[in-house]
Amino acid sequence: MKQIASSTALALAVVVFGAGCASGVKNPSGVPVTVMKPDEQGFVAGTGIESQDLVSVTDKMARSLLSTPEINSFPGGVPRIVILPVENSTRFPINKDLFTARIQAMLNSKAQGRMRFLARDRMTALEQERQLKQEGKVTSNSDPNIQEFKGADFFLTGKLMSLTTQAKAGVSDYVLYTFQLIDPRTSDIVWEDSAEVKKQSIEDAAYR
Amino acid sequence: MSAFWRTSIGSFLLALLLAGCASVSPEEQAHRNRALTQFQSGATALRNGNYSAAKADLDAALLVIGGSSAGDASARESRSYFNEESVKTFRGEPYERVMAYYYRGILYWMDGQPDNARAAFRSAAVQDQNPELGINQADWVLLDYLDGLASAKLGGDGSDAYRRSVAEARLNKPPPYDVQANVLVFLEMGQGPTKYAAGEYGEQLRFRPGSASDPIAVVRVGSVEAKVGPYDDLTYQATTRGGRVMDHVLQGKAVFKKTTDALGTGAIIAGAGVAIAGDSNATRNVGLGLVAAGVISKIVSAATTPAADTRQWSNLPNLLSFVALKLPPGQHHMTVDFQGPNGETRVTRQVHFEVIPGRDTVLFVSDRNT
Repeated sequence: MKQIASSTALALAVVVFGAGCASGVKNPSGVPVTVMKPDEQGFVAGTGIESQDLVSVTDKMARSLLSTPEINSFPGGVPRIVILPVENSTRFPINKDLFTARIQAMLNSKAQGRMRFLARDRMTALEQERQLKQEGKVTSNSDPNIQEFKGADFFLTGKLMSLTTQAKAGVSDYVLYTFQLIDPRTSDIVWEDSAEVKKQSIEDAAYR
Repeated sequence: MSAFWRTSIGSFLLALLLAGCASVSPEEQAHRNRALTQFQSGATALRNGNYSAAKADLDAALLVIGGSSAGDASARESRSYFNEESVKTFRGEPYERVMAYYYRGILYWMDGQPDNARAAFRSAAVQDQNPELGINQADWVLLDYLDGLASAKLGGDGSDAYRRSVAEARLNKPPPYDVQANVLVFLEMGQGPTKYAAGEYGEQLRFRPGSASDPIAVVRVGSVEAKVGPYDDLTYQATTRGGRVMDHVLQGKAVFKKTTDALGTGAIIAGAGVAIAGDSNATRNVGLGLVAAGVISKIVSAATTPAADTRQWSNLPNLLSFVALKLPPGQHHMTVDFQGPNGETRVTRQVHFEVIPGRDTVLFVSDRNT
């Protein structure tokens, strides 16, 4: 009886153990779609620039810019702003337009007409449209020969810089985001703000 | 059932289990090898001028190697006694990761994004550092040289990076920057190093040197001619980093395998001797128990897999070079002769291209087709 019991226990242990490691496939049934907020860190993370950084940085910049006296008390009415591409001086290749696109969208939605952005990235199409109007090929509600394209009162641009430290304890990446509002007439920097993010991790020994 | 037979059956089942647990399904292993597949297809696409495919492949692979490996279950499995190192998600050795970022940097520059190209070169340099091994500074000439060139072209100061590149130069010293040079030609030659496993149990990762029979590139565009040699050597990069942290893990596995094997042999011999010479059931049972323990130890030893991971990016070049030319806007035709050390042309490549004012024209020329 004792022998039977011990043999049965052994066989049971084998079955349980075997069942636990039989598939070799991770998540064989898949993982349902996980909806995440763009400002929260997902389970796929590195030390680079991620969506939560983009959201927090652009939120901060938009808030800061909206409270700038040069914008709120612009003497010429509503200031016109042209966004220049940011310069990426970090070690992380990124889609730089994400930053300017989100800042512009945030400001346009929150500013309630206190500032206007000029669509310089659409100049080719705008000039073609104006030419069609000047040639009478399409209708126009105003005299198309009068120059109505606005000049910029300010340039909004930014720069991303990083400092990487690698040590036995792992890798650490500090990223500094700076944005500036520049008066193109005087080259004055009338507003500047920054945000910084630092991340660190240590790689698994299997990759070191 | 005697204790001997029970133990024997248990040993057999244990062997089956160890063998079964060590395996990863082909689908899962293919998933873990995806960065390797993408590295190789990305390099082929780049050489064939299919730049959108090259970008897609390299971006997908860089997502794998750019993320943190902390908590990676496959990495944990690869460190266990009963799994080979190659069950881990492939991220490549540092020189392979460097090349993925290097190629992506070239593609960024092609797209008129020198700052993102510089970012890729900087990430490549980080891959080459390993303070645990005393390597605090990358020593790839072109990574620093191109970092500085991009900075200089963006109006910054590239002099520090240039000085580093000159200090690292072993093969050829790179020329000073000419920010007016508007045609950037990236060149590569030969077949890169290959990995193999050495040691009693294949626990040591080693490299066979790569080779390039055509280390000189003569670039001609109209009356402009430039003769350039290589700046970086992948064989040098692969073989001069010293050991890996993982090598200690594999060494531990090898010692465990050897020890359990020796213990098993000893126990079987001793147990058999006791069982044969035993003059009582009790003594014979002790002997048979020793034999059974020896068999289990041998099974555990056989299931221990210290073999090093020799998966490799098989279509890497051995040598990298670069030249920057200053050409007027318009259509141009370039001939690149890859020459041997005695000046004999081994491979010739022809490239038609257009120089557009206000931006760099970036060309990638390889002596390989795939």
